Parts: sequence; structure tokens; C-alpha cells
Amino acid sequence: MSYTAEAFQNEYLALGAAEVNAIVTVTSSGSEGGRRTSGATEIIIVDASGSMQAEGRINAARQAAKAAVACIDDGVHFAIIAGVGTAQQLFPAPGQLAVASPQTRSEASWSIDRLQASGGTAMGAWLLLAAQLLAQRPGDISHAILLTDGDNGERQGYLESVLDSIAGRFTVDSRGVGTNWKVSELRKIADAMLGTVDIVAQPADLTASFEQMMTNAMGKTSADVQLKIWTPVNSSVRFVKQVEPQVADLTGKRVPDGPRAARYPLGAWGKESRDYHICVDVAPGSAGDEMLAARVSVVEGDTVHAQSLVRAVWTDDTALSTRINRQVAHYTGQAELADAIQAGIEARKSGDDRTATLKFGRAAQLAHASGNTATEELLATVVEIEDAATGTVRLRRKVAAADEMALDTRSTKTVRVGRGQ
Amino acid sequence: MTECASCADERAAGAAFCESCGRSLAAGPACPHCGAAGAVGEDGYCEQCGMLAVRPRDHLEVDGGEVAAAATDRGQRHHRNEDAMWLAVRGGDVDVVVCDGVSSSFDPDVASATAAGAAGEMLASTGDVGEAILTAKQAVAELATDGDPRRAVSNPACTIVAAVVRGPEVTYGWIGDSRAYWIPGEGPAEQLTEDDSWATHVIALGVDPEVAMRDPKAHAITGWLGADAGSVQPRAASFTVTEPGHLVLCSDGLWNYLTDPAAFAAAVRTGLHEHGTLINAARYLTDYANNAGGADNITVALIPVQPSAAEE
Ligand SMILES: [Zn+2]
Ligand SMILES: [Zn+2]
Repeated sequence: MSYTAEAFQNEYLALGAAEVNAIVTVTSSGSEGGRRTSGATEIIIVDASGSMQAEGRINAARQAAKAAVACIDDGVHFAIIAGVGTAQQLFPAPGQLAVASPQTRSEASWSIDRLQASGGTAMGAWLLLAAQLLAQRPGDISHAILLTDGDNGERQGYLESVLDSIAGRFTVDSRGVGTNWKVSELRKIADAMLGTVDIVAQPADLTASFEQMMTNAMGKTSADVQLKIWTPVNSSVRFVKQVEPQVADLTGKRVPDGPRAARYPLGAWGKESRDYHICVDVAPGSAGDEMLAARVSVVEGDTVHAQSLVRAVWTDDTALSTRINRQVAHYTGQAELADAIQAGIEARKSGDDRTATLKFGRAAQLAHASGNTATEELLATVVEIEDAATGTVRLRRKVAAADEMALDTRSTKTVRVGRGQ
Repeated sequence: MTECASCADERAAGAAFCESCGRSLAAGPACPHCGAAGAVGEDGYCEQCGMLAVRPRDHLEVDGGEVAAAATDRGQRHHRNEDAMWLAVRGGDVDVVVCDGVSSSFDPDVASATAAGAAGEMLASTGDVGEAILTAKQAVAELATDGDPRRAVSNPACTIVAAVVRGPEVTYGWIGDSRAYWIPGEGPAEQLTEDDSWATHVIALGVDPEVAMRDPKAHAITGWLGADAGSVQPRAASFTVTEPGHLVLCSDGLWNYLTDPAAFAAAVRTGLHEHGTLINAARYLTDYANNAGGADNITVALIPVQPSAAEE
């Protein structure tokens, strides 16, 4: 795999300034011929709780799971879990992983047809079984798809404790079908497991969603890529956030690695590009001093794939220190956009219309200014945007639950700088 | 117990290399900022405090013995040295170039280094000052479309003053506000160049010099090297010395603190008389500007010139 890492920043700081910001764009050309550098294992978890009988969801879930199985490359290990009050392995035999082939794929399809909806929702137990199965193949590109339609029925705190114990071991993309599930619950899973979360309002759209997730997973060619960040003494990393394609705070995932350095997991990689916002607090230098505020490396095990330097240069020339870096400003805005939407939704739910209007107004302004039209359109389903430029909005009296959940789950989707500007 | 400056491993006592990271414990310079021994990494930054430790252009000297000397210094306020110089001595012949990067352009330090190098090489092969400056102009203009795309938006730019000394013959030329002076044995310095600057322009139009120099635009230059330099042509002149003296080339980081020609001459003479060698005198002058505030990068070149034996 060949990677590049490029830092965008205004390295010039006013005297006394101690905060250094940079956007680091990491791009991978993918592996030679798109071949994986390790094995791969896929787990498909389908909610089979009683509520899945409604609106033909279970039938749609069966079709979607079969479509996902059809996307699994030959040689990839896989298993299917039926999610009920406990976790039950649907395919292959309990405790086993199948190796994808025309034969096993059709056997899996046949098993999926027997999937019946009855029972509860226990996401912690489902993920724990997935973790146990994946543990058989250490070093693989490990990925799971989780589909649910309702609230987790496990005791308070159980899902969190499971996530704590399995975080970083594999990636989980979660989808909620219908509108009776909680965005916050699936977001918890996405955050802990470096995956995505989205709503599939109509059961009929599940197949396309599953195919897209599985195709994307099959495109990953490296299992465990990390960002290693070195900072000088008397400095600390304030935050590390993925800011493109969506906002994900990695700060808490810090694993110390030698003096003044730490690693942050980036999950599996294929041929793709992502942007990271790195903010470092340093001890200010004097006029003319140049400091290496962070040395940012893309690493896989002991291999350093690419490196980029985040610098700080103190100057009393305000023409230099007040220059706005476009990338940093843009992604600071995109992160604020996600926060404003989530705060607006919270406020609306708690009946605080004034705060909700303010937050959605700010969000409309940010989405418009940055050319994030997808988010602006989602916002328009929840508020009437009177003037996006000034952030003047009015709450809609009637909002479809699916629209609000779509806005919530997709609030973290960002656009690259310059798009639509 | 010695601690490895790179990885803080304590098993380093008495060893030549750190057991933990393999870095040499003895080799490498100490960090000038935090003092950590051997802590300067391959990219020039201190592995301990992060400060850029190795920055060769901060202070450079060229010592041509009794024939010529030059020094350039970052000064006190600028974060890097955007001045550049070239000094070549062949027997008694001297080629000299001083360039000052335009701070508001992108990569001005690259502009000045490119200009000084291009002009210097042309002087070495032809000795033609005007041609050397035009060659430098072309080289700096090409930087705008080379390398970092930000250069296209704010193209690298710099000033230039160049001279050749062949026996008693001195030829000099310039674009911008870097200067050449002739310092005779006695009396005030004679400014050989006329700045391509706003102040010089309006003074020529009749504005009171003191008023002009107080204007914030005083130092704005009206001629430079760069892709946006337009059709500006170097001005050049020659003279034959009839009494011993010194040719001095410098950037505005020095002459700004010595705008009075008598004071300029006095400072150069103090350097020459009290500090013995030419290089010490050059160093004295960069120190002088630094002590006065060092608001800009400072470059100075000193070349003693004698009249031909026949005229003595
Ligand atoms: Zn060490
Ligand atoms: Zn240091």
C-alpha cells in the first residue's frame, strides 16, 4: 500500500499563542491490484426480534442479508448471527466460520430463509458473539454489519461495558430500519467500533444499503492502520478528529507509544482518502522560533507508511499570524455543524424551541456557507430555512420521525473544502 | 544514570548507543534551545523540545581574508533569514551579490537564494553585472510556476544589488532597495545606488525627505525581481577608484539603522579599525544592527579597493 500524508495549516502564530491546528489529509492508493494484505472476516448480524414482523421488515432483512452474502469475495471468512434476546448463530454451525465460495454462499442463503422474527433485542450479546467468532482470525480485516429495528433490551450499561471490552478489535457499520430505534444507541456502537450509522426508513431500501456496506468492506485491503502522533515536551494533543468523510472524535482512543508519542486507530483502509484535524497545545516560543508541534505518521505495526510535519513559527508580523487556513477553518465549521444539529435535535426533544431554533439556524448557516448541500437539504425537512446566509430558520410544526433521524445520523457527514464554493 | 534524549530510556549509562531506540548518545549537536545532548533529529528538530535546532541561514559568513568578507544574519524579529548573499574571490577579483526577499511574497527566502546564486554564477562566467541581474530576474520569475502552488498566488520576490571588482574598476547594479556604498578613507559614505522605493520616488518629486521617510509607505519598494516584476530594468554604473576605500553592499536591515551617510561611514570604519579583520568588521556591523533592534534580516559585504599603482 502506498500512503501520503499532507498537512495544511497556518504555521505562523502570534507571540504568546499556544494552540497549533492542522488538517492532515491521508490518502492511500490501495494495495497492488486491490489485493488484501491480510485475510478478511465478515459477520452479518440481523435483528430477529418480534417487532421485525411489522411492515415486512423481516422479509426485507432476509433479502438484504442474502444480497450482502452475495457480495462476499471467495476465500473471505464469514458468519451470520440472528439477533434475538440472546445471540444465536444462524450460519454456519455454532462457533464456526465459513469460507466464502459459491457453495457456502448458497448454504448461507438457505439458512437466511429460515430466519424467523421472535424474541428481544440484545445488541451487547450480539456484538460479544461477533467478537468471539472474529477472535479466531487475529490479523484479519474484521468487519460486522448490524441491523436492528428497536431499542436495546439489555440492562442499562451492559452495551457500554461490552463496547469497552471489544473496542478497536473490529469495525461495525450499524443500520436502523424503521423509526423505533435510538440514534444515540447505534451512534455509541459506531463511535466505539470506528464504523458508520444510518437510517433505512423503508425496509425496501435495506438490500441496497447492505450491498453498499459489504462492497465497501470488500474494498478494504489493510486491517489495522493507525495515526502516530509525536509531540515535544510540555505539549499535549488537545484533540484528534477525523473530519472527512464524517466527523469522528479519536482523542479518547489514544494508546501511548514511547516517549511523547501515541497511536490513534484508523481502522481498515482501502483505496481512499480521509482528513484529520489535529490540535496541539504547546509552550509558546519567542519571535522567530520554529517548533515541530507534531510529527504525524501513518503506521501499520512497525511500518511507517507516510509522515507529515505540523509546525509552529512565532512571529510579531500580524499579517502572517492572522492568515486563516482554509482547510482548518472549513473543518472547524463542519465539526461545529454536526454539534449544532445534534444540540438542536436535543433541544427540540426537550421542548426548548428557542435553543433548537438557534442551533438549527447556526447549522443552516454553516451548511450553506460550506456547500454541504446534503446536510442543508436534511435540515430543511426539520426547519423552514428562511435565509441560510443569516441563519434565519423556523421550526416545522410537523416533522416526520424518519426525517429527524436521518438528519441526526447524517449530521456528521462532511464535505471536502472547496466543494460548492 | 544517563537518559537517552530520544526515548528517555535509562539503560543508556556508559553506552555509546541507546539500547532502546538505537540512537547514538554521543553524536549530534546539543539542542541550542533546551540543551538536550544529541537530541537533534534528522529533520533538524529537537526530539525533546521540538524546536528547530539546525537553521544554517540564521547566520552565515564568507571570509575572503584580506580581499573581501560578508555576513548575513536573521536579526531579532524575523522568523527566518530571507536575505541571501554570494561572495566569490579569485586572486584580487571579487564578485558579490546581496538579495533581500520580499516578506509579503511566498517563499521569499527561496527567491533571494535563487537570485544570489543565479547572479553569482553569471558574474563568475562573464563578469557582466547587468546580465547577471537579468539572469537572476528570470530565475526568480520561474519560481512562481515551480513547486508549491501557493507561489503562483503570491510569487516569490526579492531585491538585488551586485558588483564586480577588477583591480581599481568597480561595476555595480541593482533593483530594489538593497544598497552599495563607497566608503573612502575619510568623509561620509557615498551611496552609489538609488533605492527603487516609494520614499525615493516622492523625494525626487519634491517631497520633504523627513516627511517621506516617516510615511508608512516609505520602504515600499517600486522595483523587484519576481514573476510580477514587469519590465523593470537594472540600473548599473562603473567607476575607477582614485583613493583607497571600501565597497560595501548591504540590505536595508543594516542601512535602516544608519541612514545618515556620516554615521554609516563611521560604523564601517569602527568595525575595520577596532576589529582587525574584514570578517570581524562584517560581524561587528551585523551585531550593530542586532543591538539596535534587529527588526529585519541583516546582510553586509565589505571589499577593500585600491587605486592602480600608476595612479598612486
Ligand atoms: Zn533511546
Ligand atoms: Zn531542544
